Amino acid sequence: MSSTLRSVGLTLWELLVDDGQLAVGIVTSLGVAWILAHLGSEALADLAGWVLLVLLCALMIANLARAGRNARRKMSA
Amino acid sequence: MDLGVVVVAALPAFIASAVEFVEATTIVLAVGVTRGWRAPLLGSLAAALTLAVIIGTLGVAIVTVVPENVLKGFVGALLLLFGLRWLRKAILRFAGIVALHDEELIYQKELAELRAQGLTSTAFDRIGALVAFKAVLLEGTEVAFIVIAFGAGGPAALNSAIVGAVAAGIVVILLGIALRHPLTMVPENWMKFGVGAILSAFGVFWFAESLGNHWPGDALSILGILAVFLGASFAAARMLQQMLPEGAQVAAKNV
Repeated sequence: MSSTLRSVGLTLWELLVDDGQLAVGIVTSLGVAWILAHLGSEALADLAGWVLLVLLCALMIANLARAGRNARRKMSA
Repeated sequence: MDLGVVVVAALPAFIASAVEFVEATTIVLAVGVTRGWRAPLLGSLAAALTLAVIIGTLGVAIVTVVPENVLKGFVGALLLLFGLRWLRKAILRFAGIVALHDEELIYQKELAELRAQGLTSTAFDRIGALVAFKAVLLEGTEVAFIVIAFGAGGPAALNSAIVGAVAAGIVVILLGIALRHPLTMVPENWMKFGVGAILSAFGVFWFAESLGNHWPGDALSILGILAVFLGASFAAARMLQQMLPEGAQVAAKNV
């Protein structure tokens, strides 16, 4: 039973975190959007969503580029 | 039922849940074929009841206690962690860097493992029940998460998402019973890619809404956000195909 609970817990974790760098990047992007929205200006608050979108797209592309480089290195090793 | 709510909640919940049900069905089928049907069916039923209790208590508590704004922010953040993970993996699979999810291969591997364990002489097959219980509980947890994600817009959206997920379960289970074989014809990677992009778009929308962001066109802007994610994904897939034209087929954990 404990191994079942452990695997449920592990799967729940893996459900959200597959790649640590991507997860940290997402949380950081959310933090940036939160700070932007709480700077006081309504115009900045309305920009927060778009900034978040751009940050996440850039993060995903950068993360995949790193994955590609890692795969190429493993192929040539 | 409002067509808009169906499009926004029920349809994506149906597609996303179908992927999870296909994965659970593969395992339950493997157990049933090798060890008989009584234990895996009881294991699946127990898992479904466990899930119902978890959702009924935890889900209701969260929705009734947590303020709407905080809930949207929390759900948005979870959606992004979940959605971008699916999107990333689907792009890596499209680019040939990670092997495609092969239900037939998983089924054959599961069959071999279960046959190797052998049947005991006890009246009830505990191994069969436990394997089915774990598979249904784990994939079911993802379904529950998907329903909450697409249903975060309110009661109508939640009901639509539940209907979508239940319909997906019925369709996949009926297909599994009819075919007695894993549903290899389901384009899982395309579905995961689409759902990953949709979940991510919803995640950005909900999180920004929780911060007081006013999107132009309100919920319609989700389509615009989705278009940006799809554009970025296709650009990333092309970039990877140029980096590794022959693919790599390495384990997902190694990239």
